Amino acid sequence: MRATINQKLTEMGERERLKELLRAKLTECGWRDQLKAYCKDVIKEKGLEHVTVEDLVVEITAKGRVLVPDSLKKELLQRIRAFLAQHAT
Amino acid sequence: MKMENMSLSGLDNTKLEALAQDIYSDLLDDACLGLCFEVHRAVKQGYFFLDDTDQESMKDFEIVDQPGVDIFGQVYNQWKNKECVCPNCNRSIAASRFAPHLEKCLGMGRNSSRIANRRIASGNNTNNKSESDQEDNDDVNDNDWSYGSEKKAKKRKSEKNPNSPRRSKSLKHKNGELSSSVNTDPYKYNYSTGINYETLGPEELRSLLTTQCGVISEHTNKMCTRSQRCPQHTDQQRRAVRVFLLGLSATSLSDPNTALESDCYDASVGQVLMSRLQWDGSSDISPSDSASSKASTNNSDSKKPKKKKKACLSTTGGGVSSGGVGGSSSQSCLAGQANRKKPKLPVPPALSIYDNLS
Repeated sequence: MRATINQKLTEMGERERLKELLRAKLTECGWRDQLKAYCKDVIKEKGLEHVTVEDLVVEITAKGRVLVPDSLKKELLQRIRAFLAQHAT
Repeated sequence: MKMENMSLSGLDNTKLEALAQDIYSDLLDDACLGLCFEVHRAVKQGYFFLDDTDQESMKDFEIVDQPGVDIFGQVYNQWKNKECVCPNCNRSIAASRFAPHLEKCLGMGRNSSRIANRRIASGNNTNNKSESDQEDNDDVNDNDWSYGSEKKAKKRKSEKNPNSPRRSKSLKHKNGELSSSVNTDPYKYNYSTGINYETLGPEELRSLLTTQCGVISEHTNKMCTRSQRCPQHTDQQRRAVRVFLLGLSATSLSDPNTALESDCYDASVGQVLMSRLQWDGSSDISPSDSASSKASTNNSDSKKPKKKKKACLSTTGGGVSSGGVGGSSSQSCLAGQANRKKPKLPVPPALSIYDNLS
């Protein structure tokens, strides 16, 4: 069932649209720059040579979720729900 | 298909909500991962820290927040009390005034008074010819090298010629400006704003007097070249000058307010006026008269102080304003000429003229 919905989401292009919307809004609200600054700290801490992708991923996703502004989160959820309401029933 | 639809519709809200949340975190993960890969690549390729300034420079260019000093740490009026010596006149000038002083001193800037320099040069002409040559070249850039005083004197006279096309053209184009010939040749008239009336013929005088104030200054014996509304001289002075220069018979042309107005009020003169009013020729009288005859063009024309031929226009204008004629043309004429001088004239002749028009 979830697979169906995901499939529908992708097929209709809604997934891409949502992705782009999220990316644009995150950049606009400064989330990206904040997170990048945080990255710098992490890298300086870990040492430039020894940074791995996994390290970064872990740190960034954790911090990133926290940093997303509430309004943006709500807006996105609303859109997703609307889509589900429209196409899941 | 039906089974799937049924299962989908059977979902309750919490599950839908959970689904939405899942989708949301998927999207967010995508964004984060994108950033991760970008940063990691930058680190490994070595350009991640490139756009940062190093610590030392950061300390050097830190923002300064002290009183009396700007954010760069510089003092504001540091050069105020410093003085420089002018290489031209060897005077010691304050630093902030140095550039404008040089402009005037060397006679080469836009605002420098070339007349002053020319005068000085002509005064020293016998002493120093090369200097006057320089002044000439500065003034007339597109002319070839000139020989000095001779050509300079000639040019000066020709530039002062009141009938030259250059001057009358610029006079026509400048609407609504107070001073006429002073503006056309700012460099030449900064010092001598007058014309020597003795050298001009009667025709020249007449045309001059119809466009300019013309009052002869006691000090310099020259005619004032400002407009007819120049604030330095009164109408009486202008009248007196015209009487003096042109004789009594000619004042009807250039003077608005003498008792000779009665001349204008004869029928014959009225007809002459009419013909003048309707004629759009390039003579002295016509533009302003045609302005009075055409209500529509009145305002724009009445704002041409250069062609403000005193003649009978101002007499009619005066008549209109004092008589309160009710025609639309006369009213607009009145409005357009609200800035005209002293309507002291009796009504009837103006009435007759405007009756003809309307």
